[in-house]
Amino acid sequence: MIRPLLAVFFTLFFFFTNAQAQLATGRVTSASDPNGLPGVNVVLKGTTTGVITDIEGRFSLEVPANSTIIFSFVGYKSQEVVYTGQTNLNVVMQDEARELGEIVVMGYSSVEKRDITGSVSSVKASAFKDISLNGIDQALQGQAAGVQVTQSSGTPGGGISVRIRGVTSISAGNRPLFIVDGIPVETGALSGRSFGGQTDNALSLINPNDIESIEVLKDASTQAAYGSRASNGVVVIRTKRGKDGKTKITFDVQRGLIDPVKKLELLNASQLLELQREAVTNSGQSADGFGLIPGVTDGVDTDWQNEVLRTGILQQYQLSLTGGDNNTSYYISAAYRDEEGVQLNNKFSRLSTVINLDQKISEKFSLATNLSISRALNKRVKGDNFLDGVYSGAVKSLPYFVPYDENGAIVGPGSSLYADFPNFNPVGQAVLPRFDVVTAKLLGGINATYAFSSELKLKAQISLDYNNVTEDNYESSQTAIGGVLSSVGGQGYGVYNSFTGSNINSFVTLSYAKSLSEKHNINALVGGEIYQTFQSSGSVQGRLFPSDDFTYITSAGIVDAGSSLKSPPTAIVSLFGEANYDFDDRILAKISFRADGSSNFGPNNKFGYFPAISAGWRLSEEKFFKSTLITDLKVRGSFGYTGNERIGAFQYLATWGTATYNGSSGVTPNNVDNPNVKWETTQDLNVGADIALWSGRLQSSIDAYYRKTFDLLLTRPYPSTTGFGGVIDNIGDMENRGIEFSLTTVNLEGPLRWTTNLNISKNLNKVLFLADSIPLYRGYSAEGVDGTNIIKEGEPLGSFWGMNFLGVDPATGDAIYEDRNGDGAINNSDAMVIGNSQPDFFGGITNTLGYKGFDLSFFFQFSVGNDVLNFSKSTLVNMGADIENNQSVDALRRWKEVGDITDVPRYQLSSTLNNLHSNRLLEDGSYVRLKNISIGYNLPSRITNKLMLEQLRLYCTATNLWTYTKYTGSDPEVSTLDGSVSSQGIDFFTLPQVKTIAVGITATLR
Amino acid sequence: MKGKNPIRLIILWALLLFSGSCDILEPEPVDLLTNDLVLNEPRDVGNVEIGLYSAFRNIAPATVIAGDFTADMLLHNGTFSQYRELGTKQISSANASVAALWGAIYNTVYIANFILERLPEVPGVPAAQRNQVMGTAHFLRGYAFFVAMYTFGGVPQVITTDIETNRNIPRASESDILNLIIDDYNEALVTVPDEPVNAGYVGEMAVRAAFARLHLYLGQWTEAAAFATQVIDSEQYELEAEFSALVNEDFTDEAILEVGYTQADDPGTSGNFGLNNLFVGRREIIPSNQVIVALASSESGDRFSSMTFDLANLSGSDNGWSVAKYGTADADNNNVVVFRLGEMYLIRAEARAQLDNVTGITSAQSDINVLRTRAGAPTIPSVTKSQMLSLIESERQYELAFEGHRWYDLVRTGRASQVMTAFSPNWRNDYELWPIPQREIQNNPALVGNQNPGY
Repeated sequence: MIRPLLAVFFTLFFFFTNAQAQLATGRVTSASDPNGLPGVNVVLKGTTTGVITDIEGRFSLEVPANSTIIFSFVGYKSQEVVYTGQTNLNVVMQDEARELGEIVVMGYSSVEKRDITGSVSSVKASAFKDISLNGIDQALQGQAAGVQVTQSSGTPGGGISVRIRGVTSISAGNRPLFIVDGIPVETGALSGRSFGGQTDNALSLINPNDIESIEVLKDASTQAAYGSRASNGVVVIRTKRGKDGKTKITFDVQRGLIDPVKKLELLNASQLLELQREAVTNSGQSADGFGLIPGVTDGVDTDWQNEVLRTGILQQYQLSLTGGDNNTSYYISAAYRDEEGVQLNNKFSRLSTVINLDQKISEKFSLATNLSISRALNKRVKGDNFLDGVYSGAVKSLPYFVPYDENGAIVGPGSSLYADFPNFNPVGQAVLPRFDVVTAKLLGGINATYAFSSELKLKAQISLDYNNVTEDNYESSQTAIGGVLSSVGGQGYGVYNSFTGSNINSFVTLSYAKSLSEKHNINALVGGEIYQTFQSSGSVQGRLFPSDDFTYITSAGIVDAGSSLKSPPTAIVSLFGEANYDFDDRILAKISFRADGSSNFGPNNKFGYFPAISAGWRLSEEKFFKSTLITDLKVRGSFGYTGNERIGAFQYLATWGTATYNGSSGVTPNNVDNPNVKWETTQDLNVGADIALWSGRLQSSIDAYYRKTFDLLLTRPYPSTTGFGGVIDNIGDMENRGIEFSLTTVNLEGPLRWTTNLNISKNLNKVLFLADSIPLYRGYSAEGVDGTNIIKEGEPLGSFWGMNFLGVDPATGDAIYEDRNGDGAINNSDAMVIGNSQPDFFGGITNTLGYKGFDLSFFFQFSVGNDVLNFSKSTLVNMGADIENNQSVDALRRWKEVGDITDVPRYQLSSTLNNLHSNRLLEDGSYVRLKNISIGYNLPSRITNKLMLEQLRLYCTATNLWTYTKYTGSDPEVSTLDGSVSSQGIDFFTLPQVKTIAVGITATLR
Repeated sequence: MKGKNPIRLIILWALLLFSGSCDILEPEPVDLLTNDLVLNEPRDVGNVEIGLYSAFRNIAPATVIAGDFTADMLLHNGTFSQYRELGTKQISSANASVAALWGAIYNTVYIANFILERLPEVPGVPAAQRNQVMGTAHFLRGYAFFVAMYTFGGVPQVITTDIETNRNIPRASESDILNLIIDDYNEALVTVPDEPVNAGYVGEMAVRAAFARLHLYLGQWTEAAAFATQVIDSEQYELEAEFSALVNEDFTDEAILEVGYTQADDPGTSGNFGLNNLFVGRREIIPSNQVIVALASSESGDRFSSMTFDLANLSGSDNGWSVAKYGTADADNNNVVVFRLGEMYLIRAEARAQLDNVTGITSAQSDINVLRTRAGAPTIPSVTKSQMLSLIESERQYELAFEGHRWYDLVRTGRASQVMTAFSPNWRNDYELWPIPQREIQNNPALVGNQNPGY
């Protein structure tokens, strides 16, 4: 490792000079702007010597004869030109958008984009460079056809659902396999403690600004390389790497303000009091007896949302160095991001560093390393389904109460200023507890390539994804858990959890590429891989602290709960291969295969086999095809299989775990065996076409697919008479079919540049078969039904379930529900599918404009036809089920007297019949959102030259600035059960998305 | 040369890779035991027995909810719809409390059956231990079916661990279940120890107490009185001098069987039936106004201490009262009582009254007065039989408040309709049984169409 390091130092500190220099002069133009392109980097290859073109695109540079000059500029493809003494070197830069020969890295191999026979969506760093993203999964939102990304809430560092071509699996979770620099990385939640709905997100440990490109592998032929883990799709991410050239130091700073997109409209104290008095009176009791006295009870009117929500501050700083020479190149970056949540005391900060090195050791042997180390501090707050949540508490708190007493102290338990149960002073719940989650991630890999010849290459990689999570929690004696709950004892409650997970992956591939003749090209690859996970965790809980000055468990009076567990290592061992054949650039074919063995299955079914084939025909290369209009036209098709093995260890065995009784310990049944449980398999058929018109001014792809998942892995419910709740089994089939369209157009070329990217997708999901035809209930339990969501044959996965609300009887004010089975009673057998959260279609459109140094981009993202279950309204428009929660302004429409025509039934204290779970709570969640708008200005070189800068860019960026929706909750883009596959789209006191307005500066030193 | 090197390398690498791979694909379970290792040597027996008690423990708090919340003892004061349904008497078959009690019953039955099937085959177990554990398994299975029968009616009679049998099993008749209970109790009677280590475990008197209660429920007065007398006369137990000991302490002198929690295995802040959490922590469930009035009466006496009052809680529909019988892990009263001596006096009193032994030295009157005296309440005068039965109903409410008896008492005495209609406008006579959980009917084909009436 000494040689590459030395090389780095050399490149950093030594300047290259050459005695026999000649003066090369010329002009740089672009295809779109013949008037000359200012600000282009002109660098002598392998050195740091360089200049920048002037306002007319002219340059002059001293170079040795026969040397190579590199021309590069943001938004354009880099070019290399050999200087042979030309008197006037004219260079025409090509727009990046028009690049046709782009390389796409897919799994273990890479391919030219135009030669892809499967289905891949690419997202370039430039598409999200100005957007202030917390994690890389956010970068996919609205950018790629067929990829539906939903942020579960406005919580920084929170969960995000990423679905590629619908949901193909229930147990594999709602996130695809993410591969960063060849390393499968941890996704989903890392921390162990529940916060009422929102989880944390392992992907937020990876800095999106270190990402070079993202490829989304969408069909079996591209996914097959990942076999058993690919059924939810694969996202292949490459981080930035060094480039041959002089050292480039870039500093980027972004600062901004964060606000919730919307606040809920709730009743004020007088409106609420009037309603509560009415509810009590309707129940035949005395409102005065309940202490609901006009002029007294509503003497205080607190707007709780204002008390707990704030304008957060966003800060982000990044310093990166990149450069290299013929043998060594490097990319080094350090970044700090600090994002305040809009809830008091909620904050996510991350320090991340990346060192990526490439070293050519000899002509045949090269090494590449990537190392990213990051640490995040997530100061969390409770929410959603927790009574002691912050946002949830604020929305539900009665306006009669106050957050602070007359001395300005936070109102704690037992005060008459805030009755404790069922809600708790949300300001105290935000400010007083300490919910610090510190996550450290080390993602590193070494990758060696040995080229036996230009045809035969051996590549090996070993990598580690190490995640360490420490949850350091203390809930003081003035909070709900630490102060009110008698089983805790009213003197504080501390929890300390730690989790360490290491995923070690190693693979070796041998690849062979050969042109058999001018027309026949083949390349093939075989490989093997071992993936192992090692996990251990520990936790301890303590209570009865002497005072709130002592907050760590070492000071706890009683340490009565704790655990430690080292999970057995799980492993996947695989062999795979693929072969590509290319005939005359006209016919392309690919065949691939993977065999995976997983420790999660019993001896009967340990191995799964995943083959795929694909082919493409480039019509535009055929002799009969003559068109000056069509530059490239290709039709393609693929068919193959992927799988899922994520069921956890030892589910195939009958096992007993520990039990305690009366101070003794023993064993209790844990799991029923199913030795025959096997892989879930997704069969995938994809057809598509790619077309490029006018030399690539218009590029478009269209894809249609049918994916059928067999042997869905899921718990088969058993009646409790068996002694068990169920057994893991292959119990269903499911299908996804859909169509995707993407279009990139260069609308204007010339001084004013304008490009548009559009993608639009439609996916239809249906559960085809469930063993025993048993519907499975998911989501929350709800009044009068078995669950808010259902998995049922013939319906989309996780459809919403409930009564059919027919309206309000004008005569009585009572809700009318459809008696679907006609038995005269309204009960759970009258429930039906009332909607689902999957949209009819979704997508995004980005417009990018440039004029001289200015650039403007605006990015709309949309989702149409998705339902949102506004489950908050089962509490916020509760028809008098209780009088301990504030109500939505919808309650002002309530039925009051005979003849009232309305959609809100009458209020009657303690009655739930008017609040059965029904489609009254279901709303259209369609929305169009201006996800991002950015305006930037590159200062002209005459100014940057004076500042000794190569580039100086000022920009302003805003996310979620504008939303159009008919949804009446705070935000349609929420999901309280954010890790769930079958219960997405429930708004249960979920913090809405936030809007961020930020300004930034990017400076590149010369 | 070019061809050979990589091939050799690949072979070498493949060998390295797969020589270890067979092992890594079959890791050993950590902190889990596979089924075949659970019960096959003498030292396993105690562990499985604890597992049985651990499952049985979940029945007790569930029975408190069923017995007191289905009746007129408790009010809903929280947010969970399962408790709201019980509070407003709009009980549905989807109710989570219903499913939890059913699940607790059959988890207990499963482990009991597992022991009954496997233990006779385990070599080397001393006869005394084998008898004791077999007897315990019989008793706890019998008790589980007793709770099941009086909560749900005729339930599936599960007597094997075979999953396929138990996945598709119809309801048995109440008489079949009753026979199973009696057989199990009789089996237990001769095998369980005379005196267990403490009242957390089953002894002979627990079985006799269970017989007393069963015969009371069946209206077999002579037998009920006889079994109650055997327990009272065993001299293993004596009434606590102060009633408050029953509220504030575990393993009182009169405890015959209670499910044991300790600080380390308290269900704590979570759990469907963490009674302290429901009654004190969240105050999800509070005493009803009628029970407050009843316990505050002079006839109730010290049994008023079964509740506490906090002015700070008084607001809106919250009457400010809390159930006091279930303490936190720190407190000494987190156990749930299954049988205690006080109940035996009540059983005998009722049986004697029914047998027309209403007043006198060894009569219903004298039994009731034992409890009245202990509670510092006025003794009862000589009354008629029907007056006595009415007094005993009240006395059971005072003495056994929040121990899960009220609903079962009202139903077996035929008084439910009268009492409950006055308590709640939503009461229907169908609520004399809980529904079979919806999930069971959905997952067990043999139960389809066999829901209890009215659900």
